[in-house]
Amino acid sequence: MTRQELIGLFRKMATEIAEKDFSHVGEEQKIAELGIDSLGMLELVGAMERELEVQIPDEQLVGIQTVKQLLDLVEKRVH
Amino acid sequence: MTGYPTTLVEALDRLPGGDARGFRFLTSEREERYYPWHALRTEAHRRAAILSATGLVKGDTVALVCPENHEFVLSFLGASVGGFVPVPIFPGATFKASDHYVDTLEHIVQAARSKVIVCHSKNLDVIAKLKERASAKDLVVLTADKDFEGVAPPFTPPVVTPDDLCFLQFTSGSTNRPKGVAIRHRNLVANTTSFLGPAGLARTPEDVGVSWLPLFHDMGLIGFVLGTLIVDLPVVLFQTSTFVRMPRLWLELITKHKGTITYAPNFAYDLLTKRVTEKDLASLDLSSLRVAGCGAEPIRARTLQDFAAKFAKCGFDAKALMPSYGMAESCLAITFHQRGTPMIVDKVDAAEMRKGRAVPSDAPDALELVSCGVPFPGHELAIVDESGKAVGERVVGQILSKGPSVNDGYFENPEATAESFKDGWLYSGDLGYRADGNVFICGRAKDLIIVNGANHYPQDIEWVVGDVEGVRRGNVVAFSVMKDGLEQLVVAAEGNSGDAARLKADIARIVSETFGLAPMHVAICPVGALPKTSSGKAQRRKSKAMWESKELEEHP
Repeated sequence: MTRQELIGLFRKMATEIAEKDFSHVGEEQKIAELGIDSLGMLELVGAMERELEVQIPDEQLVGIQTVKQLLDLVEKRVH
Repeated sequence: MTGYPTTLVEALDRLPGGDARGFRFLTSEREERYYPWHALRTEAHRRAAILSATGLVKGDTVALVCPENHEFVLSFLGASVGGFVPVPIFPGATFKASDHYVDTLEHIVQAARSKVIVCHSKNLDVIAKLKERASAKDLVVLTADKDFEGVAPPFTPPVVTPDDLCFLQFTSGSTNRPKGVAIRHRNLVANTTSFLGPAGLARTPEDVGVSWLPLFHDMGLIGFVLGTLIVDLPVVLFQTSTFVRMPRLWLELITKHKGTITYAPNFAYDLLTKRVTEKDLASLDLSSLRVAGCGAEPIRARTLQDFAAKFAKCGFDAKALMPSYGMAESCLAITFHQRGTPMIVDKVDAAEMRKGRAVPSDAPDALELVSCGVPFPGHELAIVDESGKAVGERVVGQILSKGPSVNDGYFENPEATAESFKDGWLYSGDLGYRADGNVFICGRAKDLIIVNGANHYPQDIEWVVGDVEGVRRGNVVAFSVMKDGLEQLVVAAEGNSGDAARLKADIARIVSETFGLAPMHVAICPVGALPKTSSGKAQRRKSKAMWESKELEEHP
C-alpha cells in the first residue's frame, strides 16, 4: 500500500466516522484540531485495522499528535 | 440469615470449585484467558503473599493502574485477600498529552496515601514519569505481568470483616482535588445483592454476563467483577479499547456465549445502531439477552428505542432494556427499572420543565424522559428542594439516597464528606422527579460534564484553557448543553476580536489533547461579556443560560 493510498484511507474513514468532510486533510494536520474526540479516533484506528488487517497496540497511540505520526505507525505494521 | 457472603474475600472462598464457572477474558491482543473460580482464588492468594512481602499491612492502600483486565482483576483480588485496599485508576491516555495524565495519577496516589502501585509492562513508561516526581520517589512499583511470577513467600491472610474498607473509587472530584469514595465490604455486599438479587436483575444459575466496561469505573468493576463474584455469576470480559475499535464484537460475544446480562452507557447503544450493517445482523443472535442495562450518563429514549428496533431482527427483546441510575457514593446502583417490563417514557412540556415542573405533554416538541425505576428494598430515596424540604409528585429537586449501599464518605476528606453526606443521606447532586413511583433524572445540580460515560470537571477544563495565550485566566467557562439528546461541551472565553479565529483553534486543540474531548462550540467573547460574580469569577450557569438563549455576545 502506498502512502497516497494510506492517507486516502484515513480521509475516507474519518469522513465516515465523524460525518464531516475530511477529504483534504494533510499529513501535517494535528489530530487535536480535527474535531474528533479520543473515542472517535480510536474507532478510526479500529476501522483502519480492519481494512488493513493489522493491529496497533493502545500503548503506541499515547502521544500520537499528527496524522503523519499515526500513518507512520500504521505503515510499519502493514509492511 | 441470608445465603450471601458478607465480604468479597468470603465470596471468593465460597465460590464453587470445578472448571464450569469463572471469568473469561479477551486480552488486548484478543487472546482468550479463562480463569475458573478456583484458579482466581489460588492466584489471588499468591498475589496477596507477594504484595505483603513489600511491607504492606492490613488496611494499606495499593494503587492499581493496569490496562489488561485479567491482570487487573487478579491483582485487585490479591490485594483484597491480603486485607489491603485497592485503588483502581484510569490506566492510560491514547491521543492525549501524557503530562495532564501524570498529574492526575500523582494527585490520586497522594490522596490515597498509596505506597505501592501495581501497573503493567504496557504502561510502565508512564509510571516511570510518575516516579520522577518528588512525591512519588519512594513508591514501590510492581509490574502485574512480571512481578507476580515465581514462588510466593509464606503468608497467612488476615481476617477481613464487613466493616473493613474494600476499595477506594476515585471517579469523582476534579484533577487537583480528587475524592476517593471509601467502599466497605458491607456496602459492596448490600448493593450487589440488591441489584443482582430478586428486586433487581434476579440472578439465575444460567446467567452469563458480557462486558467491555472499564474496570476503574463502578459500572464495570462492581457490576461485572465484584458483584458477580458475590453472587457466583460467570462473565465474559473484554477491553474497552477493543470495543471502541470493533463495536460489533460486543454483540458477537453475546451471540457466541449466549450472554444474558450486559450494561453500557447510552453512547454505546447509539454507536451500535449506527455501525452495525444490515449484513452483520444476519450473524447475530441476541435472543439470550434478558438484561441490556443502561446507565452512567443521561439516557435518551430515542437511542434505546432505535437500538431495540434495529436488533429486533436478531431476537433482541425490547423488554430487556433496563435504564438505571446510580453513583459511586452508593457503590453503584440507586434505582433500577423493573426487569422484564417495557421501558417507561414520560413526555413533558419543555417550558414547564425549565421552571422545574414535569407537566405531561403531547406537543411535538415535548421532552422525552426515561424512567430509571425504583429504589431497592431497605433503601430510601427522597427528592428535595434547595431548602432540603421534600418536593411533591412531578416536581424537580435534588435526589437523595439512604441505606446500606451508601458509603460513609470520602477517604480522609472530611470537608468533601460533609458536603455530600448529611444525616445518613447522600446528596447526589443530580436533579430528578418522581411520577407514579418511578424516578426520572433530568439534570445536575452540580456542574459536572459527562461525555461518553466519562465525568469531566468544568474547573479542570477552564484551568487548562486559561493557559492559552490571549485568554485571561478566570475569564473562561466550560459547560455542557444537550444537543439532539446528547451532552456536548461548550467553552466560552474572553479575548480580542483579532485573535478570535486563532483562539478558537488553540482552545479546541488543548481541550482535545488534554481531555480527549471535541468541543461542540468555542465562543470567543469580548472582554467583559461573560457574567461574573461580585468577586470577578466567571459564572458558569449564567453564561450557559445566556449562550443557550443566544444572549451571549461573541466575536464572529
